[in-house]
Amino acid sequence: MELTNRESWALIHGMVLGALFLLAFGGGLAGLWSLREKFLTTEGLSERTPRLLIGTAAMAIVSWFAVIVGTWIVYPWYRATPPEGTTDFTDFPRSLLLASPTTADWHNFAMEWKEHVAWFAPFLATAVAFAVAYYGVQLARRGDIRRAVLVFFVLAFVAAGIAGLFGALITKAAPVA
Amino acid sequence: MSLQPVEGTKPNGPVAAAFIGAAVGCFVLGLIISLNEARIISSTFLDFAKNYGIGSGVGPLSGKVILSTIAFLGSWGVLGYLWRGREVNFARAFAVALILLAAGFALTFPPVFELFAAE
Repeated sequence: MELTNRESWALIHGMVLGALFLLAFGGGLAGLWSLREKFLTTEGLSERTPRLLIGTAAMAIVSWFAVIVGTWIVYPWYRATPPEGTTDFTDFPRSLLLASPTTADWHNFAMEWKEHVAWFAPFLATAVAFAVAYYGVQLARRGDIRRAVLVFFVLAFVAAGIAGLFGALITKAAPVA
Repeated sequence: MSLQPVEGTKPNGPVAAAFIGAAVGCFVLGLIISLNEARIISSTFLDFAKNYGIGSGVGPLSGKVILSTIAFLGSWGVLGYLWRGREVNFARAFAVALILLAAGFALTFPPVFELFAAE
């Protein structure tokens, strides 16, 4: 039972960073939702805000790591061009998928969307983390900003979710191994 | 009439700048994908990995994401400078951000950007 170097990086990209992202999202969403003056005492706000900042900052940092590892480490293995005359495409996932009309859309649709939309997550998550860092406890008084932060936070998760779901399905059809 | 921050809170300009900056980054990514599909921006130009030695084998995706990241940070920086210490109409700024985001999202969707594909 062992993992190749490529499998290890694919695992870090999809499972390790993906799990951390999910964890940060769950905590951040709950924190943002309930960050209202009418729900919390002054002490409660002061106690909760640093945790919210850690959660949103962690989500931003993790999403940057995930897209950078995915784009610069895992993706080149996925898109590598096989040498001329190659008939076994096992080590060339993109070529393997494109070799059959029944699997070509895993590349033409799923991968084409995933590799781009994933980059929305760090942009949006960074804006969210900045808003939380900038306002701190004052965010509870700024309902307009808090609602916008929630929308961007959820959209960052949706973008990462699309990328993660297609990543898992593509890996099932043609693993980077 | 200038807007005033909610009592006891900071002006919202820097946060509005961050939100629009993020949406600009998303929109620019979608735009570059579509312009690349239409062959207005070539894949050779976008291959920053090969052209500038930023990674190996990443291909045109390297240029697309580097340029969109520059657009994100650059627009955030410029707007953040212009709106520092200012209270802006946040509802309008957020609406602009959502429109840019929706357009960017649509332009990354393969059935949409393939409409621009060069023959």
